[in-house]
Amino acid sequence: MNEVGLLDVVVQEEFDRDPTLVFLATNSPAALRGRFGADRVRICAISEQAMVGMGVGAAMSGLRPIVDLNRASFGLLTMDQLVNHAGRMHYQSGGGYRVPMVVTAATRGRQQLGPQNEQCTYGLFMQTPGLTVVVPGSLAEACGLLRTAVRWPGPVLYFVAPELNRQRGLSAALGTPPLPFGVAALLRRGDAATIVAIGGAVPVALAAAESLSNAGTDCDVLDPRTLAPLDVPAIADSVARTGRLIVVDDGPRSGAPVQILGRLAERPDALAALGGRVGFVCQPDVPVPSSPALEDLTWPTEQRIVDEVRRLLDADG
Amino acid sequence: MTSIPATLEETAAPPADLASLFAGMALIREFEDRLLELRKAGEVVGPVHPYIGQEAIAVGVCAALGDGDSVVSHYRGHGHALARGVDLNGLTAELFGRANGVCGGKAAALIGDPRRNLLMSSGIVGAGIPVAAGAAMTAQVRGDSSVAVAFFGDGALGSGVVHETLNLASVQRLPLVLVCEHNGYQAGNRTEDIYPEVSVLRIAEAHRVRAVAVDGNDVLAVAAAARSAVAAARAGEGPTFIEARTYLTKFHLQFERPSPEVRPPDELAAWLQRDPLTVALTRAAELDIHLSAEPLRAEARARVEQAVQAARSAPWPAAAEVHTHVLAGAA
Repeated sequence: MNEVGLLDVVVQEEFDRDPTLVFLATNSPAALRGRFGADRVRICAISEQAMVGMGVGAAMSGLRPIVDLNRASFGLLTMDQLVNHAGRMHYQSGGGYRVPMVVTAATRGRQQLGPQNEQCTYGLFMQTPGLTVVVPGSLAEACGLLRTAVRWPGPVLYFVAPELNRQRGLSAALGTPPLPFGVAALLRRGDAATIVAIGGAVPVALAAAESLSNAGTDCDVLDPRTLAPLDVPAIADSVARTGRLIVVDDGPRSGAPVQILGRLAERPDALAALGGRVGFVCQPDVPVPSSPALEDLTWPTEQRIVDEVRRLLDADG
Repeated sequence: MTSIPATLEETAAPPADLASLFAGMALIREFEDRLLELRKAGEVVGPVHPYIGQEAIAVGVCAALGDGDSVVSHYRGHGHALARGVDLNGLTAELFGRANGVCGGKAAALIGDPRRNLLMSSGIVGAGIPVAAGAAMTAQVRGDSSVAVAFFGDGALGSGVVHETLNLASVQRLPLVLVCEHNGYQAGNRTEDIYPEVSVLRIAEAHRVRAVAVDGNDVLAVAAAARSAVAAARAGEGPTFIEARTYLTKFHLQFERPSPEVRPPDELAAWLQRDPLTVALTRAAELDIHLSAEPLRAEARARVEQAVQAARSAPWPAAAEVHTHVLAGAA
């Protein structure tokens, strides 16, 4: 996994533990290949559809493949295999088959890769039943959730933000045990508002919450960690208490953020508590431009989060 | 790459085999004929894509496989399922959408069956081929000498993922047998109208995959070609592409009515003369094997009718089943 090197170490440790793990990528880590051989660690032609399709077949027949797609944008090439096969075969076979595979991809960083290759596509996969969608919000979560992913009985899409690579505490992160899927992490506690932050936006949201706290406003900061399954009760409980929701994401508003809001409809008490006090701090629904002058406008920043929380607080009059 | 001609020795299967191969084809034929009637009557769920005319391919290939081998099929897949030994009652109940169908009624024709290592019958043209390659990769990593087979039509050769998979299978020497059932039609289109080259072998050869053409209506020839390909795969010699030339004698699909397609009468008549069941009888005569067709067909008909009666009285899936088996980690 090019963007977050520590994950290669996690993969190595897991390869030691489980001899059924195999790795498919166009750029497999040399150390992994050297240690476990070309049978288990394969370098493939740039054939994402075939790689993911092979992952499906390998998973159905007894291996646990990790298919690294490098960037999330390349995952769009594999929608057929992910949606029509990986996510369907357990159901379509009446529970007869499972597809325990992990597909990994990097989302977006401040790398100016432009409209095609700076993408958070995980919101798309919240609409495709059968797929588990993992988006870690810290380096430690990245390690712990990857460990869960390679043990999971079904297909897991694992999206990691390159920005997490900047975080410190590598050995502590590496020691993170498998973390549960479908359980949000409450990272800060406060009754003023609920900030739900996803992936690379989590550290930014935490910084904003700290700044607000220093000024006397304490907020819940929730990191869902998995978008499917989504911990709706945790978000709904928080919103029912705070009455304000801000969703913070590196990805487009129409992706994960609006779907999280939509899921709150399952809890009428939570929707009623909001009374319209909802804000989004995320990529607007535009492609990500390359020029830093424009790109900067597409990121959730600490200041934008602070401003949005204050706007909702002021909205009460 | 050169093609592997089936030798005379290989095509001369033991006499007992031809009778059982014929019985396998007869079961598919009787099943498919009955399904078309049942679909017209509205008893079968979804569209029926009849396999009639291609039975020799499923039966010949599956005769070359062991229990540990994997098979990937597609939506025209009843023949593959039956040839692979999927339970006739379970398959029929599945096509009726009933609770005791092999997939609990969730798949209809798009079945998978772990008891027979039938991974899937994909509804997406060409998409099952990399899945079979993945099963071949499993065999390679385990070193258990099993192989994987992908069945697909000439229509799949327009799909990009097929070419990707041919390349990966070739370079990784996967124990994979690619069975192209070249029936001349791609849904409603004739292949020659939408494809630049009649020889599909050249596609496999371009990827340095061993390629062999076989008469897809001759079950002995298919079985021989499949045995060679499977033996090569088990020996670590990589994939083989088998072009089994055949003909779609009915039509692409049927709901209440068949899809409106016109077969050139002379062409259809010529292929009907070469019907795989007829060819098998001719081969039996040539090889001096006693083969009595009508008792085998009558037995198949009776088995099919029994399965149909059982499916008719089988229960529908319980409402709660709509939510089961969505996420593998959950209930």
